[in-house]
Amino acid sequence: MTRTPLWAVIPFLFYLLGIAFVPIFFGHFWERNRNKLLVAVLFSIPVLLHLWAVPSGGALLGRTALDYLSFMALLAALFTISGGIVLRGALVGSPLVNTAFLAVGALLGSVVGTTGASVLLIRPLLRANERRASATHLVVFFIFIVSNGAGLLTPLGDPPLFLGFLRGVPFTWTFRLLPQWALVNGALLAIFAVIDRAQFERERRSPRRRVNTPAPLVLEASGPLRLEGSLNLLWLGGLVVLVFLIGSFGERALGDGPLRPVVQIAGTLAFAALSYRTTEARVHEINRFSWGPILEVAAVFVGVFVTMIPAMSFLAERGSSLGITKPWQFFWASGALSSVLDNAPTYLTFASLATGVADGGAGVLSASNLGALATHPVGAQLLTAVSCGSVLMGAVTYMGNGPNFMVKAIAEQHHVRTPSFFAYTLWSFAILIPLFGVVSHVFF
Amino acid sequence: MSSSESPDATFLIGLDDSAGTERATEVAIELARAKGATLVGLTIVDEPDITAGAAMGIGGSSFKQDRDKALIEDAHRRAREFEALFLERCGKAGMPARVLEITGRPADAILSEMEHHDLLLLGRDANFRFETEASDKRTWDVVVHRATKPVIIVPEEPAPPTRAAVVAYDGSIAAKRALQAFAASGLAGDRPLHVVTVNASGAIAWEVATEAVEALKVLGVAAQLHNVVSVLPLAEALLQTAVKLGADFIVMGAFAHSRLRHLFRGSVTQQLVEKTTIPLFLTH
Repeated sequence: MTRTPLWAVIPFLFYLLGIAFVPIFFGHFWERNRNKLLVAVLFSIPVLLHLWAVPSGGALLGRTALDYLSFMALLAALFTISGGIVLRGALVGSPLVNTAFLAVGALLGSVVGTTGASVLLIRPLLRANERRASATHLVVFFIFIVSNGAGLLTPLGDPPLFLGFLRGVPFTWTFRLLPQWALVNGALLAIFAVIDRAQFERERRSPRRRVNTPAPLVLEASGPLRLEGSLNLLWLGGLVVLVFLIGSFGERALGDGPLRPVVQIAGTLAFAALSYRTTEARVHEINRFSWGPILEVAAVFVGVFVTMIPAMSFLAERGSSLGITKPWQFFWASGALSSVLDNAPTYLTFASLATGVADGGAGVLSASNLGALATHPVGAQLLTAVSCGSVLMGAVTYMGNGPNFMVKAIAEQHHVRTPSFFAYTLWSFAILIPLFGVVSHVFF
Repeated sequence: MSSSESPDATFLIGLDDSAGTERATEVAIELARAKGATLVGLTIVDEPDITAGAAMGIGGSSFKQDRDKALIEDAHRRAREFEALFLERCGKAGMPARVLEITGRPADAILSEMEHHDLLLLGRDANFRFETEASDKRTWDVVVHRATKPVIIVPEEPAPPTRAAVVAYDGSIAAKRALQAFAASGLAGDRPLHVVTVNASGAIAWEVATEAVEALKVLGVAAQLHNVVSVLPLAEALLQTAVKLGADFIVMGAFAHSRLRHLFRGSVTQQLVEKTTIPLFLTH
C-alpha cells in the first residue's frame, strides 16, 4: 500500500495558517472572494498533482467534491433560512431576560446551526440592551454560548459535526454529547447570570448610558415579542428531517454511490430556494442578508477540502505513532488548534488521527468512513473528545469559529464596545479554560 | 491692531465631542482673539484603523466589510456634527473659523495639518479613534513627541479664575525651546510669568531658574523665579506649585529625556498631561 508522503500534508498546514493570519496582515487583500479563491487554488495545485499520481486519487477527489457540495449546500440553506427569520418586539435587557435569551440560543444552536442562531439572536439581544451602559460581557458570553457551545448536539449545530456526518457519523450519534453540552452551557449561563446581575446593579447605582447612539441598522421594534418570516421554521423543519432521513436511511434507499449526496444536495438547496423566495425583502433587509458570507465560505473551503485529502490519509496511516492516544489528549489538542485555526478542518484532522489510533494498524477503520469510528469502543471515546474539543474550543479566540467575528462585527455596528483580540482571549482564559479543565477531568 | 496681533496666524483645534475639546475651543477662542488669529477645526475619519486587518474565522470577512462601511459612514456623520458644533461655538464668540475633515490615521493627519498652522490645541480626553477605541491617549502622545509647532493640551476642568503662566524649567534643551517658543508666541499676553524649577537641592533649583529668568529678560519678558524643593514626584510638585500661583497655563518642554528613560522611569510629560487641571503649552 502506498503511504502518503509528508510533503503532501504541507499545503494543508500552510493553508490553515494562511486562513488564520492573512486577514490580519493583508486585510484588504482578503476582502475579495476572488483573492480567497485564488489562494485556495494555489494551495490545492500540489495536492491535485499528488492525487493525480496515486491510484485512488481520482476517486478521493470525486468523493471530496460531493462532500464539499453537500457541506456548502447545508451551510447555505441554514444561512438562508435563519436570515429569513427576525425576532421583533420590545425586550428589556434585564439579567433574567438576557440569561433566558442565551439559554434559548444554547438550544437553538443545535437546530439552526451556531451561525444561524447567532444571526437570528444577536441583533434583538443588542437592541434589548441599548440602554445598558456596557454590553461587552454580553457579546463575549453570546459568542461562548450561542456561537459555539450551543452547536454540540446535532450535525447541524456546527460545521465540524456536519463534516463528521458527511463522513458517516450517524445523525443521532451527537446526542451522546448531551452531558458535555449541558455542563458547559449550564455553567456558562450561571457565570453570565452572576456577572450580568453585578453589572446591572452597578449601572443602577450609577446610571450611565453609552455615549454613542446606535447606528440605524435595525428597524425600531416595539410591541409584543414576535417572529417575522416564521414560514422559514417550516423550511427549517423540512431541512432537519431531510438531513436526518438521508443520514439514517439514505444508504439503504439510495445506495452507496453518488446518488445519495446528489439527492441530499438537491433537497437542501430546494429548502434554501424556498426560504429565499418566500421571505419578504423587508426581513432580509432587517437582517442585512447578503450572499457575501456564503460565497466567502465557499471560496475558502475549496482549499480546505482539497488540501486536507492527503492530510487525512497521512494521519489515519500514522496516527498511532504520533503520541496522541488518550481521549483527554484528543480533547485538548483538537481544541487548542480549533482555537486559532478554523474548527471544521481541525475536527477532520483529529478524527483521522483518532482513526489511526483506534485502528492500530489493523486496517479496519478508515478516515473516509467515520461511521465505523463512531461505533468502535475506543474510537467513539476519541471522537467524543475531538467533537467536544473542536466545537467548544472554537470559542477561545475570534479565529476559532466563523460566527465569533460575525457577532463582534455586528455588535460594533451597534456601537457596542467589544474586546480586542487579546482582551477577548483573556476572557476565554479566565472563564473557558478552567471550565474545559472540568470537562476534561469529568469526561475524558 | 496691537503689537502682539498676527492677522495671518491660524490655530488648529482637533475636534470631537469631549469636554476637553469644548474647553480647548474656549481656550483657542481666547488666545485667537488676543492674537487676531483664525481658528481651524479639524475632524478626522480614522479609516485606516477602522479597516485594519483583524483575526477572524472563515466567513468573517463579509461581516467585517459591512461593519467597516457602517463605521466609516458613522464617522463621517459624527465629524460633520463636531464641525457644526465648533462653528456654532466660534460663531457665538464672534470669531472667524473654518473646518476641514481629513481621512487618515489621527496622529499623522494632525501632524501633517499642523505644519500649516501656528499652534495646535487638543482636548486631553479627545478621542479621534472614537469608532474603534473607548479612549485615545496614543494620538496626543505621538503628536507631542513629533510636533514641530507648539501644542496646547487642554484638560476638561473649567478655567481657573486667575491668569498666570508657569514655566516649568529644568535647564534641558527642550525646556529652553519651550521657554523661547512661549515668549515668542506672545500668548502670555498680560499674564504674570513664573519660572519654576523643582530640584532636591534648593540652591541648584535657584541657579537653574535664574538662567531661565535671565533668558526671558533678554527676550524682553519679565518673570518671577521659584525654586521648589519637594519630596513629591516632579509632575505633582509642578502641578501643586502652578495651582498655588494661580496659573492658567503651564509651559514646558515635552519629553526632554530619552524614550529608554521614559520606559523605566515614566515620563514627566505623560504624568503631567494625565493629572493636570491647567492647560499645558508643550514644545518638543
